[in-house]
Amino acid sequence: MRKVKISIKNLSKNFGDKQVLNNLNLDIYESESLAIIGESGTGKSVLTKCIDGLENYESGTISYENIEDIKKLSKSKKNNYMGKFGILFQNAALFDSLTVEENLKFCKKNNLKKILKDVSLPESLLKEYPNNLSIGVQKRVGLARAILKNPEILILDEPTTGLDPIISKQINSLIKKLVEKKKITTVTVTHDMQSVYEFSDYTAFIENGSISWYGKSNEIKKKGNRSLINFINGIY
Amino acid sequence: MNYLNDKFLFFFKKIGSVFFEVFSSIGEIVLFFVDFVRYLFIGKFYAKNFFLQLIKIGYNSLPVVGLTSIFTGMVLALQSYTGFSRFSAESAIPNVVVLSITRELAPVLAGLMVAGRSGAAIAAEIGTMKVTEQIDALKTLSTNPFNYLVVPRVLAGIISLPILVFIGDIIGVLGGYLICTQVLNFNPVVYLQNTYNFVEFLDVFSGLVKACVFGFIITLMGCYYGFNAKGGAQGVGMSTTYSVVSSSILILLMNYILTSLFFNL
Repeated sequence: MRKVKISIKNLSKNFGDKQVLNNLNLDIYESESLAIIGESGTGKSVLTKCIDGLENYESGTISYENIEDIKKLSKSKKNNYMGKFGILFQNAALFDSLTVEENLKFCKKNNLKKILKDVSLPESLLKEYPNNLSIGVQKRVGLARAILKNPEILILDEPTTGLDPIISKQINSLIKKLVEKKKITTVTVTHDMQSVYEFSDYTAFIENGSISWYGKSNEIKKKGNRSLINFINGIY
Repeated sequence: MNYLNDKFLFFFKKIGSVFFEVFSSIGEIVLFFVDFVRYLFIGKFYAKNFFLQLIKIGYNSLPVVGLTSIFTGMVLALQSYTGFSRFSAESAIPNVVVLSITRELAPVLAGLMVAGRSGAAIAAEIGTMKVTEQIDALKTLSTNPFNYLVVPRVLAGIISLPILVFIGDIIGVLGGYLICTQVLNFNPVVYLQNTYNFVEFLDVFSGLVKACVFGFIITLMGCYYGFNAKGGAQGVGMSTTYSVVSSSILILLMNYILTSLFFNL
């Protein structure tokens, strides 16, 4: 029996005159991995930022377990709500004035070596500054930071963007291993269909600010609508 | 006719939008200030960040402020001599130097120098953190960005500027002393005695109060424009420029207001 973790109803979000999300409806289920795909600028990252409370929205509701609408939360309760998320940002967003160790210590003071092992990184990296690391390694550290505080929901914003195919494959397998091991509800925004097939149970396709297709990731090719098939085949 | 009407309306719309932007910015800055005051008393205090900022804003600005002060004191002594020698009032030069330096020049020039140096650095650092989602990351790591970034910087600004200005006062007076004794052949003991006898507590105190206010303005503006940086490198560059320009204008404005207040004391 699937249990709804987050329910999004009629969500709309504008930036000035531009409407990015338009009456979007989506349910995110507990312990499942959902991939959100779509063309650039269709509002995928904005949607995740609305979900984790980093962006406000004009209309609609986002309910989380027994919270009716996260928009109505007080500042302190919103902070608690945001603490439930572990986020891997598009460019890792590591604090560049701090070492890897200090970045990780933001979440937890101990077990850092174990978490580095989990993301296949050597202990020697702890004293390095993020600017000295490749983007692939930065993303692994970002992933370690995201999972270190044992989040209820893991959000991965384009985890493989900007990486070469080999590193992308490594990151995808790493995420698959972590998602399967920890059974965390995961939302992944991606353009990389490999990420979708490798570790996402379900896929939502965003078009014109709303979900135009939702279904099992392994049924995309069989049941996907025309726009989705065109998208994965690179036809616009 | 319609064309003229459109032009006329366009003109007033433009003026209206400029006024709207100015007043909405003022409102946002006031709200930012209110948030600063609120988080000053609630939430975690990051002592390590505070001491780091004391070093960055205060200690690291010392060479720039010192150089500005010494040259200002030297120039002031030379220019005063040019004027005062015309009516044989050379003995008043130590008084003019110490009054100008402590009341006016050291706080204003130190403020402007620190605005260009540290204010710009604060706006650039926080702006980069904003556009690279580091501030969003802080929020999701249950760390309040105001407590972590703004409070330590503004407090460090308020504390370090008066210290810088006090040191600047001493160096500026020393600059005047060097010129008067080495170039203009003043008696060193008489110069120092004149300086010491003439300067009052209020002269130094008013300069230090100004410095506190300027330190607050510089760091608050740096943090505000950094937090509101948009886009990429260009957005960060713009936030840095706005931070320095607005800090400099506010410093000059507040300098007049504070001088008027102290003038009546």
